[in-house]
Amino acid sequence: MTKRLQLRRVLMLTVLVCAAFAGLGYRLVDLQVLRHDELAKLAQDNTQREFRQAPRRGDILDARGNLLATSIPVKTVCADPSLIGNQQAVVAHALVPLLQMSEAELLPKLFPHVSKNEKGEMVTNNLHYVRLQKNVTEETWQRIQLAMSQLSFGVDEKKLPETGRAFFRNLRQSAISADPDQMRVYPNGSLAAQVLGFSGVEEFKLDGRPVSQISGRDGIELALNSALGGVAGWRVTETDRQNHELVALRDEDVQPRDGLNVVLTIDAAIQHNLEAALADAMQKHAPHSITGIILRPQTGEILALASLPEYDPNTPASVTPETRDRVITDVVEPGSTFKIVVVSGALNEGVVKLTDEFDCERGHFAFAGKVLHDHEPFGLLTTKGIITKSSNIGAAKIGIRLGEQNLYHYAWDFGFGQRTGVLLPGEVSGILYPVKDWSKVSVAQIPMGQGVAVTRLQMAMAMAALANDGWLMRPMLVSRLEDRNGKVVQKYEPQRVRQVVTDATDKMMIEALKTVVTTNGTAQGAAMQDYVAAGKTGTAQKAENGAYAPGKYISSFIGFFPADDPQVCISIVMDEPKEGYYGGQVCGPVFKEIAERCASYLNIPPDAPAPLVANAGNLR
Amino acid sequence: MAGNRKSQSAAIRFGPALKALFLCMLIAGSAIGYVWQKNEIYRLSQQISQSESRLKHMTDGNEKLRVKLADLRSPLMLDQRARELNLGLSPAQPMQVWRLPEPPAAPPESDLSARQLAARQAGAPLAQ
Repeated sequence: MTKRLQLRRVLMLTVLVCAAFAGLGYRLVDLQVLRHDELAKLAQDNTQREFRQAPRRGDILDARGNLLATSIPVKTVCADPSLIGNQQAVVAHALVPLLQMSEAELLPKLFPHVSKNEKGEMVTNNLHYVRLQKNVTEETWQRIQLAMSQLSFGVDEKKLPETGRAFFRNLRQSAISADPDQMRVYPNGSLAAQVLGFSGVEEFKLDGRPVSQISGRDGIELALNSALGGVAGWRVTETDRQNHELVALRDEDVQPRDGLNVVLTIDAAIQHNLEAALADAMQKHAPHSITGIILRPQTGEILALASLPEYDPNTPASVTPETRDRVITDVVEPGSTFKIVVVSGALNEGVVKLTDEFDCERGHFAFAGKVLHDHEPFGLLTTKGIITKSSNIGAAKIGIRLGEQNLYHYAWDFGFGQRTGVLLPGEVSGILYPVKDWSKVSVAQIPMGQGVAVTRLQMAMAMAALANDGWLMRPMLVSRLEDRNGKVVQKYEPQRVRQVVTDATDKMMIEALKTVVTTNGTAQGAAMQDYVAAGKTGTAQKAENGAYAPGKYISSFIGFFPADDPQVCISIVMDEPKEGYYGGQVCGPVFKEIAERCASYLNIPPDAPAPLVANAGNLR
Repeated sequence: MAGNRKSQSAAIRFGPALKALFLCMLIAGSAIGYVWQKNEIYRLSQQISQSESRLKHMTDGNEKLRVKLADLRSPLMLDQRARELNLGLSPAQPMQVWRLPEPPAAPPESDLSARQLAARQAGAPLAQ
């Protein structure tokens, strides 16, 4: 009987033990097999952290390696309000002078704000993180750390229990932290601002923390944003309670790929000369705006490009619609500079010769129900004389002889009505209506630079084509992309678009354009002392609300030198100049000043006739 | 049983003792090795961490110096400094630049040897 009882007890115990083991086995299978994925993820989330490793944004350099835009390392200072307790006033008092914020601005940020996140969980200041100040220098951050470590809270901490001491220790060590960041800097201020553009900060969230990234907003910064930006890396690792990385437990470590450096064709010294000369002209003639382009006709490389008023890309707040890059964004009627299109087209087609004479009707020419005017009453003028004197009526008669289709064809071939393809955002194509939309008078008006709207860059490229044996080039602003070690990753080569006129026509045009800067021409102020220059003036009435505004002009001069071996082409355009308005009168001297500085800087050998050179030398 | 024990030799059996000692040393060695390895991992992690932070510090410093150098070399800055200091500097005028004619290209080496040979035959000393 006793034995059976004992046996039953043993059996029961065995069953219970087996059941317990079965239960444990089930739990094991449940945890390790059935809920494996879910629990593994939970465990990983508890221990592992993924950090984004921001790439360094590439630099922008000029053709000689001068730094035009770069990124410098800075800190973003942030706080964990949950570690500050009720000591906000003390912390704020210590940080205000270092962060250059007012106490009223800083104090509210140090208080914990409890809110619900997307999952409905209650969180304190978005995962214990509040940003206090961006773009803090390393030196300032070190001073902040020192100030935090020396904070005094007016209590004898040694007498406090361990929890109290730990609170003050955490406050000093961890309540204020800094994230690495970078700031875009333009060391030359507003130099080449419209070419470089400016950058802003894009923000997105990664693991609930805001992450900022520099991105281009305009100019080269925007056009080559992806090349400049680089590719972010990451690090999967584990951290201790104070968020310090445990390097031994680092799992993945993929380094970021830094952005490429962009080397421009712009030369900072020439750009500076251009901007200085434009600023002087701005002061003298007080125009609404003034633009300048300097380029190499043979390659289309832009050596300098400026539009005043300009802005300082270091302070994007200074960017306004007035500071836009008018060289590519604004279209205007070109005025007489457009005569180069009709005259070179007519010479190329053989419908006129340089010596052909045209009756310029003493300044009044009725055509298709409209009366065309000249700025002076001219009689008979040769084709060359029409360019020299800039006769509207002469150009109109050449246009009529060339014909509508040919006129349209040459205007298109010179690049009007289409984007030049310069590597800048916001370029417009201008307006060149197809022949079917022309009125009867268009064939006489377009040769005078009316009824067509062009950008300043298009007009400069057209003139550069005449300085390049009739070859139209694509404007080049970027020379190459390099990595941080200077290894060339991508090289940009000069691109020919098309040959618009033959070499022979081109030479005839240059002969005609040389006369513009003589005493007989419209731009004697553009004549250079040691070089023979060639160019064309333009004075266009401004169109406002569908009519020409009286007394408002767009004045321009586009020229190149040395005329027989052109090295540099320069375009100067003023919008509503005061103290004179003829292109030759207001823009010619600016051209001369810039061209002479360029010639000296680029060491271009003089080509003026020997006696002139000798005299010039004696004068000095 | 007692008789059996008595009949046993009093000599120490070294074989099993050595085996036990070896096993103990192996376990102890493994334990010490494990601890040493962990210690090394920790020490090297610290070193990596410090080196990374030093590298970052130096890279950042380098960046700042590079920007400063760029500032000092920028044409804009140089122009401003030249004006501030009233150095009276201005770009050279084209006529102030003396352009020297390019020297004639050096004759090919074979020509030179022929001339040297001719000079030797004429009894003239060779120029060194």
